[in-house]
Amino acid sequence: MTQPIAPVFHRVGNRRHEFTLAPDGNRDWHRGRVPGLSRHWLKWRGGYNPKTLQRERRLADKRPLWWLIGLGGLACAAPMLPDTLLQVAVVFCVFAAINVIWTLIIGAAGILSLATMAVVGLAGYAAAAANVYLGVPWPLMFAVGAFVGLVVGGLLALPSTRIDGLYYALLTIGVAEICRVSISQIRALAPQNSSINNVGSFIPQDWYLQRPGLLLGFATAFVLLLLALLLFRVINSERLGLQLQAAREDEDFSEAVGIDYRRARLHVFLISSAALGFVGAYYAMLYRSISLNVFSLDQLLLMFAMIVIGGMGRAEGAVIGTAIVVVIDRALIDLGPLRIILIAAVMIAVTLTTHHGLADVRSQFRGWRHRIRSERRAASTRKGGEVMPEEATEIADKQLIAYRRFDRRLRDRLKEMVTPELIEQHRSAPLGPHSDALARVLNYFRRGEMPDKYAILQEGDAGAWRYSVMALSGEPGKPPRVVDDRVYETRDEAYHAVFLLRVNDLLES
Amino acid sequence: MAKHRIFGYCTPWSVKPGEAMRFMISGEGVEEADAMLVRLIHGDENPDGPGFIEEEIPGAVTERLHVRRQFTQKGAYATVPGLETHDVADGSFTLAAFICPTAPGKQRQTLLGRWDISGSQGWALGLNPEGHVEFWVGNGKDVDQVTAEVPVIPKTWYFVAATWDAKTKRARLIQLGRVGRYNGHLGPVVPYDYNSITDAPLRVTPKAAVAEAPFLWAGASDWNDRRGRFVSTLYNGKIDRTGLWNRVLDDDALHAIADGGAFPVDGAVALWDTTLGYTDTGIGDTIVDTGPHALHAEGVNRPVRGMTGWNWQGRDDCYRLNPGQYGGVHFHDDAMTDCRWEPTIEWTVPQGLKSGVYALRLTTAGAEDHVPFFVRAVTPKAPIAVLMSTFTYLAYANEHLAYEAPIAQAITAHTPILTTRDVEFVKLNEFGLSTYDHHSDGAGCCYSSHLRPILNIRPRYRSSAMGMPWALPADLSLIWWLESSGYDYEILTDHDLHAEGVAALKPYNVVLNCTHPEYYSERMLDATEEYLTSGGRVIYAGGNGYYWVSGLREGEPEIMEVRKLDTGSRAWQAEAGEGYLASTGERSGLWRSRGRAPQKIVGIGFTAEGMDHSTHFERMPDSFHKRVDWMFEGIGAEEKIGTAGLGLGGAAGIEIDRYDLSLGTPPHTMLLGMADGFSDNYPLVSEEITYAFPGRGGTQDPQVRADITYFSTRDNGACLGIGSIAWSMALPINHGQNPVARFMKNVVDAFARPGPLPGGAFVGEEKLWR
Repeated sequence: MTQPIAPVFHRVGNRRHEFTLAPDGNRDWHRGRVPGLSRHWLKWRGGYNPKTLQRERRLADKRPLWWLIGLGGLACAAPMLPDTLLQVAVVFCVFAAINVIWTLIIGAAGILSLATMAVVGLAGYAAAAANVYLGVPWPLMFAVGAFVGLVVGGLLALPSTRIDGLYYALLTIGVAEICRVSISQIRALAPQNSSINNVGSFIPQDWYLQRPGLLLGFATAFVLLLLALLLFRVINSERLGLQLQAAREDEDFSEAVGIDYRRARLHVFLISSAALGFVGAYYAMLYRSISLNVFSLDQLLLMFAMIVIGGMGRAEGAVIGTAIVVVIDRALIDLGPLRIILIAAVMIAVTLTTHHGLADVRSQFRGWRHRIRSERRAASTRKGGEVMPEEATEIADKQLIAYRRFDRRLRDRLKEMVTPELIEQHRSAPLGPHSDALARVLNYFRRGEMPDKYAILQEGDAGAWRYSVMALSGEPGKPPRVVDDRVYETRDEAYHAVFLLRVNDLLES
Repeated sequence: MAKHRIFGYCTPWSVKPGEAMRFMISGEGVEEADAMLVRLIHGDENPDGPGFIEEEIPGAVTERLHVRRQFTQKGAYATVPGLETHDVADGSFTLAAFICPTAPGKQRQTLLGRWDISGSQGWALGLNPEGHVEFWVGNGKDVDQVTAEVPVIPKTWYFVAATWDAKTKRARLIQLGRVGRYNGHLGPVVPYDYNSITDAPLRVTPKAAVAEAPFLWAGASDWNDRRGRFVSTLYNGKIDRTGLWNRVLDDDALHAIADGGAFPVDGAVALWDTTLGYTDTGIGDTIVDTGPHALHAEGVNRPVRGMTGWNWQGRDDCYRLNPGQYGGVHFHDDAMTDCRWEPTIEWTVPQGLKSGVYALRLTTAGAEDHVPFFVRAVTPKAPIAVLMSTFTYLAYANEHLAYEAPIAQAITAHTPILTTRDVEFVKLNEFGLSTYDHHSDGAGCCYSSHLRPILNIRPRYRSSAMGMPWALPADLSLIWWLESSGYDYEILTDHDLHAEGVAALKPYNVVLNCTHPEYYSERMLDATEEYLTSGGRVIYAGGNGYYWVSGLREGEPEIMEVRKLDTGSRAWQAEAGEGYLASTGERSGLWRSRGRAPQKIVGIGFTAEGMDHSTHFERMPDSFHKRVDWMFEGIGAEEKIGTAGLGLGGAAGIEIDRYDLSLGTPPHTMLLGMADGFSDNYPLVSEEITYAFPGRGGTQDPQVRADITYFSTRDNGACLGIGSIAWSMALPINHGQNPVARFMKNVVDAFARPGPLPGGAFVGEEKLWR
């Protein structure tokens, strides 16, 4: 027998790092609400510090804080950035907006569409053409873009309910390519390099590519991102999103309770497509032109990288992924083609190390820490052995720790009493009379906790009873479970079988 | 899970020919059942005994029955009929109460309000699944709520108030801790800040719930298409004084109430004063409204009254001393005292039906049930009466000891023996608790009723914790013996004794107790004493009798109450100040603690219990005295009496009683027999333990023994005490040919004859040469 490893008693305890408020219970707590909604602005949670029982008010969902720091920082820093970086910031905002909307389609609606840029591009072309050839004033271009987005979304939606995810993804890539080729063939639409130039814009002609123009561009792109995030929030966290969430968890159940999730998916897809169309119009205005680049496979794959790096299904994932890819692609322009390799490397690193992209790193980290903790505890304590200081921090009823220690020592003493003679004594008279040693062992067994405590099942007719061993649940309304398939002829045999199981449990512990 | 189930219950439990009875039957997966009246002769199927014996009485009952599923409403709550016409939803209002939640969290619980769950309509104050107090309103489509900032601490009193201002559309929820030195689980040293004041605009304007959804205490009205209306989101905990006003009460007014001030009358819709209604003999289920409309709340499934309130000061331990501090009404989500099923059979007991233990046997494909009841004689004619322990049957009704009490195996020294029917019973979890169980919040269950199927009084039932019959099925061994010995006997029940007093016993020459007459009311003790003092003869052949102070509320004999107090073998212990029966006003606990140890009445009282092994009695020197030696006719001087039995293999065991002059055994009592040699699984009972020291088990403590005693009373009265539950279960061994039966026959024959008892002449001074 190997010597058990001597336990090491580490000191535990942490200072408080989390920001909490210490409210006074006698003061009013005014719970503000988002106008028109029953939502509260922030998810504050009241409670008691388990160490001191002092009152605490804690921000249970800190994401609004991170959004404020991230986006607020960007908004404050942008006016101080040099032109090149400001342009990078603009690109970030636009692509982040597109990706946030795309996330709605992939994540919330669960439709694996890669035709995102096709929608943006078609709407952009349509809006630009309407402005350049039909003289539609620029503010109306948004409406044209959104409308075209809605129509294209409607067309794309048709096959989405019929074919499987992967085939649909391939189909949408095809659609994007068809769009690119078609537009390059329509000379009337785009005579020069298949692009439409001199598109009307909210940026005055003489500000274009000047500092004020760039600043205005950034400001509008930033607002665009905020609008995309608002859309995400409204769809994902309100009725439509909740219905889709239910459908993702269990389609049959949600259908049974009256959720028409196919319809909800379609709605999300159409709304998102219209939003992408809006972005397309904005895109044409921002650069005062639109070219076939928007349809390019490179662009699509770059955006795919953004989603993969950030993580699918969450707005923060879309934004983080976009930030990383845009910074590498646009800010490190000096690196040349190496940039693409760098992006690929980041993508591979992220997919190899994370389960759901960077946005999920925190919970993944916690899971990892939890696993390490479990492993260490398993290594440092024997089964049912001493409670270590780390574990004690998690046990509210300290008497349980005392019981554990007492129990371990008692078991050590009882184990020495279990001999073949003792077992034979029980076999010959399960209900007694018993020696002191056997009485002690039995009393220990009988005092055990209720869950998984053994019981005997009696089946059959009077006089021809058969017995088997069960384990009780210890919970009201939850029946006992069968332990094994052995059947005993007499009750005494069954009593003894239970005894042997318990002896085995004791010796193994 | 079984596809077919049939269950039934009946009322009244004890009837005479010519009286009316109702049977309530529910079938699942079956539409028809065969009913047959049977007389129960023996229950236990143990191959060492006569086995299950019933006598069919054909033609006594409609034989083919239509049955349907009947639902059972679990949970204690109170309903306020009439409040729907005074609903406050269309204007501003305030709802305030003192509450003491005992199991917050896990699931939503409704404290007070008119709330329709299925329609999302109305308003209510409750606890959300996280254990925070919440006030919610619904308009039939949307629900909005305001929530207290911190969760409530279990078993702690709070004052909570919710106000709704219809003009500003704001709701305000105030929660103030009311922690005293005595009233709750924790004392003032704990640095919790219990208070919370939340103020928020609501997006939903409350709309009064449909008329079918009444104002409820401790639950909310729900509906589904199979059951119709029922109550769910039941509350666990106490509610004290409560008020409802059709205006907003400001903080000053609310603080004044919270500090113990009177509830303002201005704008009051209802002012429930839970401290009203106490009398010297207890309190009923009505919670009195002192407001303008007298909207009294009616308790369902017996909310527990006589409980300490938010302002309990610890000085007075009974509501009779200070009702103003006893406003607590305790609700349990698993309390159930009446299934309230529709009657399936209305039946009149046929004339000429012999007195006995009967059952309505229900048989259907794959399921069977026996619904036992007791038939007395219209005019007592027999010399012998058997007193069936219906109080004890109630106390143990549907007990869950084997499944939920961790110490049960240590007490019984047994691994439980479950049958498939027991496994079904665990799953069913529908027919309420016994006084040996705990409610889901950990409080002991003090009420037990026979207005529900009681599975462990079915004749074949064997207590799963002990693997042997218990209570009624065990008592049938005595019935079998009387029957097979050809005695002319009649049946009485504890309930008859409680209702009629000594008049119920008077017609008989001898009354035999059953195996375990543990639960006794004062009237039953009085009647037994009066019977003995006026020439009656009692054979107390049982263990642990006359033990718990139990009571029935006047006019409601179906529900028995007991509070388990400071000492005794108790499955739970009442909280401080809550030891008095709400049904009668008496202090509950052990009769011994109230100056009436069982020894004072029958000579012996509880001394030990154990369920590993029963043993046998031996004659003691007194048994050779001519006053009593006729009882041992046919039994050798050193013969072991009861070496076998259906109760763990002997006549002495399970729960055992002993003679003790210091506890009031009559001084002239003779010790005829005793059994010793019990294992340490028979420890001396806790009421005997003052200082605890080692060696109080059967192998070392001389008080751990079972005694047989005898004493005479006035007018040829006499009492034979045989302190063992296993005794009667030893009668059927060897077809009734055994020393236990022989002894019983000698005694019963003599006791049943009127006039002087044999041996009565041997009262002279002993002038002995030896």
